[in-house]
Amino acid sequence: MSAEPGEIVLADAWRAFKIGADRGRTLKELFTRRTARPLDQVQALAGVDLRVAPGETVGIVGRNGAGKTSTLRVLAGIVPLDKGTADCGGRVATLIELGAGFGREFTGRENIRLNGALNGMGKRDIEQRLPDMIAFSELGDFIDVPVKAYSSGMLVRLGFSIAAHLDADVLLIDEVLAVGDEAFQRKCLRRISERIVAGATLVLVSHAPAAIERTCQRIVVLDSGRVVFDGPTAEGLLHYHEMLGTETGEGTTERRPSEHRRVFVEDVALQDGEGRRRSVFSPGEPLRLVLGLGVRPGAQPCRVVFELRQSSGQPVFKAGEDVDLGGRPGRLTFDVPRLNLLGGDYDLVIGVHEAGDPDPGIDRLVGLSVAATPGAEGVADLRGAWSLQTAVGA
Amino acid sequence: MLRYRYLFEQMVRRELRSKYKGSALGVLWYLVNPLVLMAVYAVMFRSLLKAVHIPDYPLFLFVGLIVWTFFSQSLLASATSLVEQASLVSKVRFPRETVPAAVVSVQLVPFAVLLAIVAPVAVIVRGTLDPALLLLLPIVACLYAFALGLALIVSVAHAYFRDVQPVLGAALLPWFFLTPIFFRVQDLPGLAGHDTAEALLRWGNPVAPFIEAVRAVLYSGAAPGLATLAYVAAATVIAVVVGRLVFRRLEGELAVIL
Repeated sequence: MSAEPGEIVLADAWRAFKIGADRGRTLKELFTRRTARPLDQVQALAGVDLRVAPGETVGIVGRNGAGKTSTLRVLAGIVPLDKGTADCGGRVATLIELGAGFGREFTGRENIRLNGALNGMGKRDIEQRLPDMIAFSELGDFIDVPVKAYSSGMLVRLGFSIAAHLDADVLLIDEVLAVGDEAFQRKCLRRISERIVAGATLVLVSHAPAAIERTCQRIVVLDSGRVVFDGPTAEGLLHYHEMLGTETGEGTTERRPSEHRRVFVEDVALQDGEGRRRSVFSPGEPLRLVLGLGVRPGAQPCRVVFELRQSSGQPVFKAGEDVDLGGRPGRLTFDVPRLNLLGGDYDLVIGVHEAGDPDPGIDRLVGLSVAATPGAEGVADLRGAWSLQTAVGA
Repeated sequence: MLRYRYLFEQMVRRELRSKYKGSALGVLWYLVNPLVLMAVYAVMFRSLLKAVHIPDYPLFLFVGLIVWTFFSQSLLASATSLVEQASLVSKVRFPRETVPAAVVSVQLVPFAVLLAIVAPVAVIVRGTLDPALLLLLPIVACLYAFALGLALIVSVAHAYFRDVQPVLGAALLPWFFLTPIFFRVQDLPGLAGHDTAEALLRWGNPVAPFIEAVRAVLYSGAAPGLATLAYVAAATVIAVVVGRLVFRRLEGELAVIL
């Protein structure tokens, strides 16, 4: 049974890695394929099932050590599974680490040849595509300079130009897209989407929700080597941020259990102008915060407060509203007609302050990401128009 | 495998480039070491082994030495090859055999150059152009494949146990002196009557028949004995088969252990 070009099948995939430098393996153990003592192992993949149809775009997110990169390395055939099957149909192009296949003494042009060959291309194929790749990279005369002189941005350009022109059926990309300038990233994504239209499959691992939101229709959230969410991107990112939120609270502000509260936040949703759940927005878009409030007997009027913080914890905006639910559950919405924030990751902290509560804290914490904006940096979106007048006469 | 022919070519180029880029003599350095060795040994053994009378001794020695140099350098260099290419092996999917194979192939370059120097000299010294010379190519091909097979084992073993390369380095030293490079087995004093010892020197050391064969063709201008040829062929097949088997078995975890 073999996957058709562009199809990915990962069935009940298990993989453990030994940790620590001590490898007490004997030759005998190696040849009899006995697994090592389970004591010092990390289970990177614990029964992952993933089926991707040709033409799908899938983003994989998860905390560090959740198994993202392991999944990619298994799919690429670099690391074998302990149990289960992994199958990628057709030609697979991987971009796992920048410059991994580069010879430092080689020029950009020579590295294109080497990398094309590493990915299974023949001489004729490579020579045919060489001009396209060089043009795409926009490296100009630097293409004939040894890559040891390249900046990381230049390495991305080169690496990506190669990967984008391999005409692969499956593209496996890890994080690398995050490096390099926005304009080039967009160009890469355009090139990728052309391939996707032609039936190629993309699997993108990234910490940057913006890149995933822009590129992937489907998202897989991994945690401790298991798939905890698999579905549409917007929902998945929300799920992911909630998962992170329950932990980010620790250490910064204590996340208070809301059991003793008589009014509590049951559900938090960020919606776009059309009422769809989203967690990634573009600057200037409308945003609606919808809070589902639950009540327990004896509920009193209270104050619902939300605060937007930068990922560093720096507050950006804070607002509150006095709410009297009259003992019934309700829905509180806050409309932002125009999200005047620039690109970055933000946390939205929501709390309910009841009268006489000695220690108001955080009830909910959700992540909000804003896609990067070319030509502007900072937090507030104050983008305006420049104009220049020069003095008349001399 | 054919699909990756171009990759192999690129890997050899990369290996050549990364080794000697920036040095004035470049690839020529591959020749300097064996040439210096030969000069030293020729002078040294000449005076040490006065008892033995081997005609055209420098030529006799050169032929043995270049075979040995190719063999030992191939193994030593390939042992560390996978570890040195760790980032490539753990981040890119490609046939990993190309890494040690490229290293051995690079060693083939100075070997071929030295052969190209020694062969005409031998012809001139002997004064006859023998048809046996035609055997040189298949014998060298066997030697290359033999080294390749061992390089597969050594490289993947070293990735698992980093002691392999130093152990190999130490073993090659006595191995060199036990190999009939600067002597002929039949000339060794005190061997008369010790048939087992003689057989062991001749056949217990897999490099010896290769040297014997190359030397027969180049130095003596005669075809090697049938037993020698059969041994060479068998050793080649075994090395390649076992090498591939071991490599296949162990390469899976390479990306993890490197």
